[in-house]
Amino acid sequence: MSKIGVYVCHCGENIAGVVDVEDVRQYAEQLDGVTVTRRNLFMCSDPGQEMIRQDIASGLVDRVVVAACTPRTHEPIFRTTLEKAGLNKYLFEMANIRDQGSWVHAHDKYGATAKAKRIVASAVGKAANLHPLEDKFVDVTPAALVIGGGVAGIFSALELAKMGHKVYLVEKQPSIGGAMAMLDKTFPTNDCSACILTPVMVEAANHPNIELLTCSEVADVNGYIGNFNVRIRKNQTYVDWNKCTGCGACAEACPVRTANEFNGGMDHRGAAYIHFPQAVPKKAVVDMSVCINCAGRKLGTEPRISKKTGQPVLAACEKACPSGAIDRSHHLPAEGTLRDIEVGVIIVATGYQVMEKENFPEYAPDSPNVITALQMERLISATGPTGGKLLRPSDHRKPRTISFVSCVGSRDVRHHTYCSRVCCMYMIKQARLIKEKYPDIRIFMHVIDVRAPGKDFDEYYTRARDMGITFVKGKVGGMEILPADQVRVLGYDVDLGSNIEVDADMVVLASAMEQPPTAKLLARKIGLSFDGAGFFKELHPKLKPVETAVEGVFLAGCCQGPKDIPDTVSQAKGAAAAAAIPLCQGKVRIDPTISEVDTEKCSGCGICTPLCPYNAIVLKTYSGRPRAMIDITQCKGCGVCTAACPSAAILLHGYTDVQILSQIAALTRAA
Amino acid sequence: MQTVNLTQMDKEGIAEKVIAMGGEGLLNCVQCGACASVCPVARAGFSLYCKNLIKKLQSGYMEEILEDSSTWACQACNRCTEICPRDVKPSEVVFAFRRIQAEELAISTSAFTPLMSLYETGHAVYNKRSKELRKKVGLPETPPTSIGDPKAVAELQKILDDSPMAELGIFLNLMSRKQEK
Amino acid sequence: MEQFGMYLGCNIPFNAPDIEQSFRQTFPNLGVEVVDLQGATCCPAWGTAPSFDINTWLAISSRNITLAESEQVDIMTGCNSCFGILAEAKHMLDHDPGRKAQVNRLLSKADRKYSGSSEVYHVAHVLHNKIGVEKINASAKYTLRQLKVAVQPGCHLLWPSAVMKVKEKNPFFPTMLKELCHALGAETPHYSRLESCCGMGAMRSTNQERALDTLKDKLKSMKEEIDPDMIVTTCSSCYLQFDNAQKLLRDKGEIDFAIPVFYYTQLLALCQGLDPAQVAAISETPRDEIIVRIQSKQRLLN
Ligand SMILES: Cc1cc2nc3c(=O)[nH]c(=O)nc-3n(C[C@H](O)[C@H](O)[C@H](O)COP(=O)(O)OP(=O)(O)OC[C@H]3O[C@@H](n4cnc5c(N)ncnc54)[C@H](O)[C@@H]3O)c2cc1C
Ligand code: SF4
Ligand code: SF4
Repeated sequence: MSKIGVYVCHCGENIAGVVDVEDVRQYAEQLDGVTVTRRNLFMCSDPGQEMIRQDIASGLVDRVVVAACTPRTHEPIFRTTLEKAGLNKYLFEMANIRDQGSWVHAHDKYGATAKAKRIVASAVGKAANLHPLEDKFVDVTPAALVIGGGVAGIFSALELAKMGHKVYLVEKQPSIGGAMAMLDKTFPTNDCSACILTPVMVEAANHPNIELLTCSEVADVNGYIGNFNVRIRKNQTYVDWNKCTGCGACAEACPVRTANEFNGGMDHRGAAYIHFPQAVPKKAVVDMSVCINCAGRKLGTEPRISKKTGQPVLAACEKACPSGAIDRSHHLPAEGTLRDIEVGVIIVATGYQVMEKENFPEYAPDSPNVITALQMERLISATGPTGGKLLRPSDHRKPRTISFVSCVGSRDVRHHTYCSRVCCMYMIKQARLIKEKYPDIRIFMHVIDVRAPGKDFDEYYTRARDMGITFVKGKVGGMEILPADQVRVLGYDVDLGSNIEVDADMVVLASAMEQPPTAKLLARKIGLSFDGAGFFKELHPKLKPVETAVEGVFLAGCCQGPKDIPDTVSQAKGAAAAAAIPLCQGKVRIDPTISEVDTEKCSGCGICTPLCPYNAIVLKTYSGRPRAMIDITQCKGCGVCTAACPSAAILLHGYTDVQILSQIAALTRAA
Repeated sequence: MQTVNLTQMDKEGIAEKVIAMGGEGLLNCVQCGACASVCPVARAGFSLYCKNLIKKLQSGYMEEILEDSSTWACQACNRCTEICPRDVKPSEVVFAFRRIQAEELAISTSAFTPLMSLYETGHAVYNKRSKELRKKVGLPETPPTSIGDPKAVAELQKILDDSPMAELGIFLNLMSRKQEK
Repeated sequence: MEQFGMYLGCNIPFNAPDIEQSFRQTFPNLGVEVVDLQGATCCPAWGTAPSFDINTWLAISSRNITLAESEQVDIMTGCNSCFGILAEAKHMLDHDPGRKAQVNRLLSKADRKYSGSSEVYHVAHVLHNKIGVEKINASAKYTLRQLKVAVQPGCHLLWPSAVMKVKEKNPFFPTMLKELCHALGAETPHYSRLESCCGMGAMRSTNQERALDTLKDKLKSMKEEIDPDMIVTTCSSCYLQFDNAQKLLRDKGEIDFAIPVFYYTQLLALCQGLDPAQVAAISETPRDEIIVRIQSKQRLLN
């Protein structure tokens, strides 16, 4: 006969304010197998745990039920208590009388108490039938995958590499750097973005522990913490990167002119191009979707021989390349090449996108002089389309009046309800940079309010006012297009209590940062979930900010929510530290509360294999007959197979039939 | 004193009333100002318009603004509703407030003429010269509307007679005249 | 022939019957039969029932829509205000079954029942989306080539876009009316206050001076930015404001120019060679001169 101790927690007033805890304790006293009942203000406190330890040490109890809060946060604490007292930690059961009792029935004290009793009875019923279980361990593949080579991914990769871990850094663009590479200067210090980012990019590329995989994407992910099998697709670049020196001759020679994404579409690049001047790696790619097969050079065909010269007629890029890196006679597969890698942990750092102006019909999206703030970064950058001279897109004249419009797509139920957090600051930054260089330009900042809560941020904002930048409190509701491509901003000044208009030469929209739609595909591959705003969801907003619901997968940077560079880098380093834990331990624990097949009972019918949501079950031949086998590293203990097996051959440890039936019996017995 | 003592503002029932009258989004407003920036009423310089009406109602103003006729300048253009980032539907708050003003008969006498005309002819706007104008352009003197259709007017009056509008006594004279007939 | 129920409203039959005549004469040329909605009342105007009680408004509006339902036609309105009122009413009724039941209880007093089977369109919607610019172009005998038009779509055709079956691509920069004018050969250069309010209606009856200021802003934007030969609208309220209040502004010395104003189907009628004495005969801002120019020999298409 088991000796069950029942410990009822007050959780301060959380439980005791509603549930009559003494009544519950007295009720537990008379349940079968219960030898000890106690209560405490906080069972998870030292004295609370000490109570349990004492009772175990003095031989009073050999099974423990704590009637308190949720096992999600507290089961690990009490299991450790049992372990320290020398009892198998799986001889523990939690009765959640708070989240499922006092909190949901706050207005019904009597009912909440009655329900608490049943929940306790059920836990006691199960506890009587618990068996000791043993943790299992598997080895960890000593390598990490970082997806996304923005500033977040770069820092996560570098941190892990410096700790001595092998890192694969996968970036879908030809170069790492992400959005930060597009910025001119950065608040709150106004240091040049390229000047602080380029050295880190180079460091990452040169680090012996980092393998840089650019133009690459994650095609598939399988496995479990410690042992992920990842298939990487290297997209076709049509340039032999082993030979390419990044001289840019092909880009210059290419006759195609297509919108240059890196410069916000405000200038052009060739079909052959280099991502941006400081690209790392500095390698050329050919964008086949816009290539015009100049010189009739179809891919995978031998060149024509010129009748005049007797020489082969080559495409402009081929001809220009001094190192022979482009050869269109090769038949290169358009879908690129696949490669499988194995890693123990994954950090997702896929960043964000900004909303395009076409999403905002009220803000004159057809005017060339209405641009997004990210385009403005390029327009004032020395490597941008105008070489750093501020010229408006319509006529390449210097603007005299600029309006900045805040909260475009943020804090707006039609788009995103969240605040994008960085817009106020980057608007102020851009306004200051422009004002410093061109004091005669008049600048109006239309804001609902200015959000400058970071270190040194408010001082940065105040300085903008001192510089003569005008702040107008009031959201802009519309725009009209004036002759000569001016834009009339229809605004409202809350402080004046009056409608205002600005005849602006340029309008800058601080458009929202959002999760790009491609994130959905990646999420499906990895099993990540989204928060209400559409960003990747962390495991706990306060205590597990870089962990995810998928063990061994961590988040860094803006893919988890909008943030500035200081916060991005902090989080990236945090994610690296968290990801390093399994890598350092070398082993990961496998929870024993998973399913196991009794090979004697299994008939090999195979019903379970397609049902498993984690692909953990395979049929293997065992003494000449097919038998289901469960991979312990894949099984999550969901119990689907257990319920489905017609031969009752699958046992879910910790949730056996006897255990569950005893719970049901206790619940259905009147309290 | 021009200072408003917020603790002494009696907000009792005001928001509930506005919401019940159709201004359902009243409490969602964050006073960003977007609606006012494009509101023709605000732009023309009227004293009350979407944004500041909403703020006043949220703050417990009612008697102080009940007689202000600016709300009757609202064009119902709905541009505010199209762009409000909080889905307040500001124009509906303006109309809810108008309905409250109407209930208190805090409306200008000129507002009654179209109502009377609506009740009598089925048309809020009617022009006695119209017969002449219609003839001039080659149309029958009477259009195929309620103006020449007593049955249609009677149907309309049945709807109006039992409406809250009738309870205000707006149509009292007309209703008794009808009964005399 | 496709049929539409012609909802006239108040201003068109009583103040601008030449617009009514232009509907009756142009639509058959475009293959559309105009069906009268016998016994229609006011929509009811924003300042009447909608400002007093929602259900009374919806009952009167839905009564008007039932006239079309029993003729088994969709409605087309010539006035933006009427369109706004009827379209919003229909949207509310069709999206709120509880409301619909309440309103049908009121309607039963008039022995009517609203079912929701008829759509509410505006004349501009029918012209642009049902008939199409090609047919309109083909129906014209005279061209407006080299004539500059300032278009006035009017607020209630733009917002709230949620209640409209036919929508502008961008309601803040509407193009439908421009395209309808292009179909007649006219130019429609952009002016900045294109989408802004004309000041008619509630604003004008509340405070005429402010309403005139609002119109003046708009007129000045037209005159100074594009100097048009005429103003063309598909809203009868806007029409009256531009025509009549423009004269008031001139009389007060606030403006020193006169721009002729047409309802779109009046212009279409002139291009179709119809008699101006019937389709464009009543205005306070003179337009005889431009009418003669439009129906001149040089503009005849062969
Ligand atoms: C206009 C503007 C101005 C700003 N100015 C400042 C400033 O002055 N100071 C400041 O602190 N912050 C500023 N910020 C914020 C700053 O840009 C971000 O904090 C920072 O770039 C976030 O970095 P990240 O690595 O999380 O994301 P990103 O920079 O977006 O990097 C993500 C990377 O992942 C790659 N990627 C995405 N999906 C995949 C995939 N499926 N597979 C492989 N790779 C993938 C992308 O190509 C990209 O390279 C500004 C933002 C904007 C919009
Ligand atoms: S736009 Fe909406 S949220 Fe902003 S002030 Fe107007 S009603 Fe309030
Ligand atoms: S609907 Fe009324 S309140 Fe809203 S913008 Fe138009 S005039 Fe202003």
